[in-house]
Amino acid sequence: MTEPKPILRTHGLRREFVTAKPLFGAAQVVRAVDGVDLEIAEGETFAIVGESGCGKSTLARLLVRLIAPTGGEVWYGGTNIADLDEGAMRALRRELQFIFQDPFSSLNPRMSVGALIEEPLGAHGIGTSQERKARVAELLTRVGLRPDHADRYPHEFSGGQRQRIGIARALASGPKVVIGDEPVSALDVSIQAQVVNILEDLKEEFGLTLVIIAHDLAVIRHMADRVAVMYLGEIVETGTADALFARPRHPYTEALLAAIPIARTGARRASAHIEGDLPNPIAPPSGCRFHTRCRYATEICRTDHPRLTGSGAGQVACHHSDTLALTGLADADTDRPAAAKARFALYRDAQARKAKETTEP
Amino acid sequence: MTAPLLDVQGLGISVQGARANLVDDMSFTLHAGQTLCIVGESGCGKSLTALALMGLLASPPLAVTGGRALFAGQDLLAMPRAELRDIRGDRMAMIFQEPMSSLNPAMKIGEQIAESVRRHKHVGYEPARARALEMLERVRIPAAAQRLDEYPYQLSGGMRQRVMIAMALANDPALLIADEPTTALDVTIQAQILDLMRTLQAETGAAMIMITHDLGVVAEMADQVAVMYAGRIVESGPTEAIFDDPQHPYTIGLMSSMPSLGAHRERLVTIPGVVPQANDMPSGCRFAGRCPFRTSACDTPPPLEDFGGGHRVACVNAPLEASRQETGT
Ligand SMILES: Nc1ncnc2c1ncn2[C@@H]1O[C@H](COP(=O)(O)OP(=O)(O)OP(=O)(O)O)[C@@H](O)[C@H]1O
Ligand SMILES: Nc1ncnc2c1ncn2[C@@H]1O[C@H](COP(=O)(O)OP(=O)(O)OP(=O)(O)O)[C@@H](O)[C@H]1O
Ligand code: SF4
Ligand code: SF4
Ligand SMILES: [Mg+2]
Ligand SMILES: [Mg+2]
Repeated sequence: MTEPKPILRTHGLRREFVTAKPLFGAAQVVRAVDGVDLEIAEGETFAIVGESGCGKSTLARLLVRLIAPTGGEVWYGGTNIADLDEGAMRALRRELQFIFQDPFSSLNPRMSVGALIEEPLGAHGIGTSQERKARVAELLTRVGLRPDHADRYPHEFSGGQRQRIGIARALASGPKVVIGDEPVSALDVSIQAQVVNILEDLKEEFGLTLVIIAHDLAVIRHMADRVAVMYLGEIVETGTADALFARPRHPYTEALLAAIPIARTGARRASAHIEGDLPNPIAPPSGCRFHTRCRYATEICRTDHPRLTGSGAGQVACHHSDTLALTGLADADTDRPAAAKARFALYRDAQARKAKETTEP
Repeated sequence: MTAPLLDVQGLGISVQGARANLVDDMSFTLHAGQTLCIVGESGCGKSLTALALMGLLASPPLAVTGGRALFAGQDLLAMPRAELRDIRGDRMAMIFQEPMSSLNPAMKIGEQIAESVRRHKHVGYEPARARALEMLERVRIPAAAQRLDEYPYQLSGGMRQRVMIAMALANDPALLIADEPTTALDVTIQAQILDLMRTLQAETGAAMIMITHDLGVVAEMADQVAVMYAGRIVESGPTEAIFDDPQHPYTIGLMSSMPSLGAHRERLVTIPGVVPQANDMPSGCRFAGRCPFRTSACDTPPPLEDFGGGHRVACVNAPLEASRQETGT
């Protein structure tokens, strides 16, 4: 099998933040992203998961140079965007777009929806004013809104609708890569499903590469081709979604999967959850950063830092991954009872019938 | 069968200026030692229901428009404020959606717990502080004795939620209401807190109302479930009945719009449209505007009907298999 061509590649990517300087002593440094090597293939949906503060948003912003790295490289095709100056980067922005988590604060409240979606077109000098208006109308329709919504303002829309506006805006300039930082996390389940479907349809239609940041593992399972798991600034495991969910190789991945509440009665025996809080990212544990919470930790884990090894198909950073037999999610864990599935099918059919009636009366 | 600890019948809550009730004709019962999960999407009235039971509705503009809520035989909705204040935090306690808003940022956590014990149990400083320490240990806060003298900002989100639980349980309440106790937490911490709540509930025998929008949490925690939509219970019953035999179109739509954790990745089912607001509430079934099974019979409000074993459904066309045959399609 030939490896698919990477569209985004990072090498030794690092970003540090200096925290507020205390009254006495030196300011402290958080290594939010600490030596990340990634390859994202053209056309895939790549997901980054991990708990709060592990560096997902920082990594996402680095990938499109919304922030500059402290060290390392980010290759987009043949260009190292870590080194680009602002002017050159601005031109590339057309191809690398970002969808923010919070549909409420990421849209300028004083701009009409039409102006918001048109802005990136104007910024990149795409089309005449008339062509841009037509493109806005088309994009609104594509994300399930109406062309006349262009004259309204963000506050007139619900959360799900605002997220669609954010998606339309990200797509306006015809990007190749779209990065979504928790694009559906703030939405209710039924609205989340609408937005997930729209993202998947648009990805297909425009041949996008999607990078999705999320802490909801079910959304990741549904959308992603490949997944990277982060812990305290590092990537600890990568793999195809199928392999990683069924057969995790890093103890932290196993712990994440074991912690997902499953919407089926009797799905879980009293599970052995990991103990303790996330360590302070300012002073991460020595050796393997997960050793303070890992139930497989041995002496070497406290002293030696495990490196991420493996191929594009799957990588893991754990001293003992070769000998551990970890538990993932079996299909039997997640499958629903037959009676419930029959009802779901009934609902699907009824909805399809209703959609047909309204489109061809 | 013994009398329920909590028996709520026909609870209604309104807001000034809106035509329809925000919470309408809400009825459920809860027995000691049992957990009822109230599940539904944002704005369906979950928190208002909890606040009404605790006597904490912001009135005006909010008001209870009817119903009763018998707690150990006494009607919470008709009780004088002073009496309710005595029960609150004592025999009935609540964990709020945002822990920071209910912890006093300027007060050490040990003192916050001890104060509540002193007020309700009329004990002195030392026994109250001893109780606070005991509670922090029971919610598995490491180095509890030192933590007693820390302030809320010094704790992680998970630790704060443990403190909230310690405070709520300090006076051995018969009823605990937990409003989204784990929504703000990471998944591994959420699992720890849910474990803890299950263990403590088994130890104390308290009844619990747990509010959540996460059907996964419901499946792991609930004995009984009430599914709410736009202020009304649309389906309720034992947890197995709700998950294995969902009957209401909204419950079914909600369950099937959740992405599956399994390998099969079919396109997600959606519920088109949005929840109606109090001022454009349909006069019949409140789900009618989004329901693919809607018929003219849905224009009158469907009552909650018993499908056996306490499984109740508010849909004129349930069971849906039968209704399809009748309409002859
Ligand atoms: N501008 C900043 N200044 C200082 N520290 C920062 C800054 N941005 C992020 N950090 C720190 O870097 C670490 C990683 O943060 P980041 O926002 O990338 O995490 P995340 O995985 O996106 O978390 P969440 O799930 O909460 O969004 C955290 O410890 C955070 O406190
Ligand atoms: N003080 C208030 N004044 C007016 N309307 C209110 C007030 N509090 C709540 N509401 C409305 O009542 C409805 C129910 O609110 P409630 O807080 O109970 O929702 P919820 O189910 O808890 O939602 P969430 O999951 O977002 O917490 C919402 O439509 C809300 O806008
Ligand atoms: S290296 Fe050691 S501590 Fe780290 S995940 Fe592997 S077994 Fe656990
Ligand atoms: S009563 Fe009618 S509109 Fe309401 S859920 Fe049932 S079928 Fe749908
Ligand atoms: Mg983030
Ligand atoms: Mg609420």
